[in-house]
Amino acid sequence: MTTFDADGITLERVREYVWEIPQEGDMRVPARVLASEALLEEIEEDKTLEQIKNTTHLPGITNYAICMPDGHQGYGFPVGGVGALDAENGCISPGAVGYDINCGVRMMRTNLTYDEVRGHEEELVDSLFANVPSGLGGGGIVEAGVDTVDEILARGVDWALENGHAVEDDLLHCEDEGMREGADPDKVSQKAKDRGKNQIGSLGSGNHFLEVQRVTDVFDSDVGEAFGLEEDQIVVLIHCGSRGLGHQTCNDYLRKIEQQHQGLLDQLPDKELAAAPAGSQLAEDYYGAMNAAINFAWVNRQLIMHRTRQVFERVFDRSWEEMEMELLYDVAHNIAKKETHTVGADGEERELYVHRKGATRAFPAGHPEVPSAYRDVGQPVIIPGSMGAGSYVLRGGENSMDLTFGSTAHGAGRLMSRTQAKDEFWGGDVQQDLADQQEIHVKAQSGATIAEEAPGVYKDVDEVVRVSDELGIGDKVARTFPVCNIKG
Amino acid sequence: MGYELRDHTADVAVAATGDSLEAVFAAVANGLAAASCDEIDDAGDRFSLAVTAENSEALLFDYLDELIYLRDVRVVLPVDHRVDSIETPSAANGGADEWQLEASARGVPLSEIDAREIKAVTYSEMRLERAGTDGDDGGWEAYVVFDV
Repeated sequence: MTTFDADGITLERVREYVWEIPQEGDMRVPARVLASEALLEEIEEDKTLEQIKNTTHLPGITNYAICMPDGHQGYGFPVGGVGALDAENGCISPGAVGYDINCGVRMMRTNLTYDEVRGHEEELVDSLFANVPSGLGGGGIVEAGVDTVDEILARGVDWALENGHAVEDDLLHCEDEGMREGADPDKVSQKAKDRGKNQIGSLGSGNHFLEVQRVTDVFDSDVGEAFGLEEDQIVVLIHCGSRGLGHQTCNDYLRKIEQQHQGLLDQLPDKELAAAPAGSQLAEDYYGAMNAAINFAWVNRQLIMHRTRQVFERVFDRSWEEMEMELLYDVAHNIAKKETHTVGADGEERELYVHRKGATRAFPAGHPEVPSAYRDVGQPVIIPGSMGAGSYVLRGGENSMDLTFGSTAHGAGRLMSRTQAKDEFWGGDVQQDLADQQEIHVKAQSGATIAEEAPGVYKDVDEVVRVSDELGIGDKVARTFPVCNIKG
Repeated sequence: MGYELRDHTADVAVAATGDSLEAVFAAVANGLAAASCDEIDDAGDRFSLAVTAENSEALLFDYLDELIYLRDVRVVLPVDHRVDSIETPSAANGGADEWQLEASARGVPLSEIDAREIKAVTYSEMRLERAGTDGDDGGWEAYVVFDV
């Protein structure tokens, strides 16, 4: 048997790109890593493997804990982790969802070509930067009272539609039509709402960004057509989450679990994996609060997208409808969802809390939860790359249900720490190089953010996507390349 | 005595030391401020805060969580941290069964600086312990990972 030795942890090769850490000690199931050897050599450099092993200690974990090709060290659960926990006898873990509940990505199409945008890049990047709040303390597109926050938490993008920030068609191209059932605003704390109310429609900082991109390749013309993508077309990608409201919600529930379910916590190797037992009041409360935060994040991305339409109208002096600025799709990559999966040799159907932290749902063609617009071809998956590399649009692959509970990667995955990045790169140089060598126009609140997010700090997104495609969990449809990028 | 920012693939970690529990708490908080902003000016007014929790680690977590919360709602970056007192649960503090902290900080308006967002404090790899060997009062050490 081929094995890979990673400093004390031995992985056995199950088949090409599938590696397994066998069950031992208190592990309830094996752990799996989906990667090429090249990616595995990067993954073994930090604590990713130890963290995915720790994840297998969670009660009710089903089949195996899985690390995606872009996996890297997080806190508790690795980023790029998928864990399916039994919804009856298992648990739900706020730490395994992450602080930024429903951090995710959406892509908007346009009918503009790259040639039509050339010459307008500076104006476009300046206008986007001036009109889309970013960074810390930059406010939001909507300033609201707590009543409005409650409505957003309960109704999601439906609230945006009623208030003129969305059109009906936007809802049809979002998971759950932009409104998560079972959202309970009463389970979100006052503190979380106070943080959220002046951040509705804002990018935040860190790795979040808004990018105008051009489609450079369409690999699958049939699916590309179904997604409305063709070469040279301009698209807009928006990456952000639930802001302070989501961060506070995660922390509130971590602390409640610590106070109410110490027994379960004591069984876990990392306190950050804190989980509430399925069926407990706290598990129900967290699920209601998390669903509400999911709605908040959808509204956040919706407001930014709608504002972007208005910016394009001014820059190109045409209505957004005329530019066919339509939502392609919106995916979450920090989320837990109750889903029914077929598990075990006898094909038993079971309800599971599928935790995807830095992983994207990737349901294949024909799955009833894929919106009808895409059901024949599979769910769109959007994989943002770094600002000097491409991003990808995939579609859910036919092996995803068997291999990964219907999931694939979520991005390039970090390689270098933020402190090291700042030592190696200077924001001004990175910005200049991107403009001079690649015609990418970047504008950020802070030079440090540009340095920390320099293209060199990320793994090779091409290799991550190649592995996803080879495994048949997410198939390549199109590749895009940045034109303008704004960040916090 | 003070803090250092440490490498972490996606996030940022603060390692801090202090002569007392109060000093090490304040040092971690100063590390959080440094991780948020490279150059901090002299602007802003001081404000005070109080936190209670069931044990010392939870108190550190809640203190840092409160600072991040106050940053968002006051729209200021809390800097120049002072922890005035940490009371342990005892008859001496009126029979309270929780740890109590009183602190203050200066709030620099976010509009005046280029600060970036630290999303949250985490329990991951958190350590809060006495430095040095048994009986030797070497002060305190703490290690905290923040989500960026």
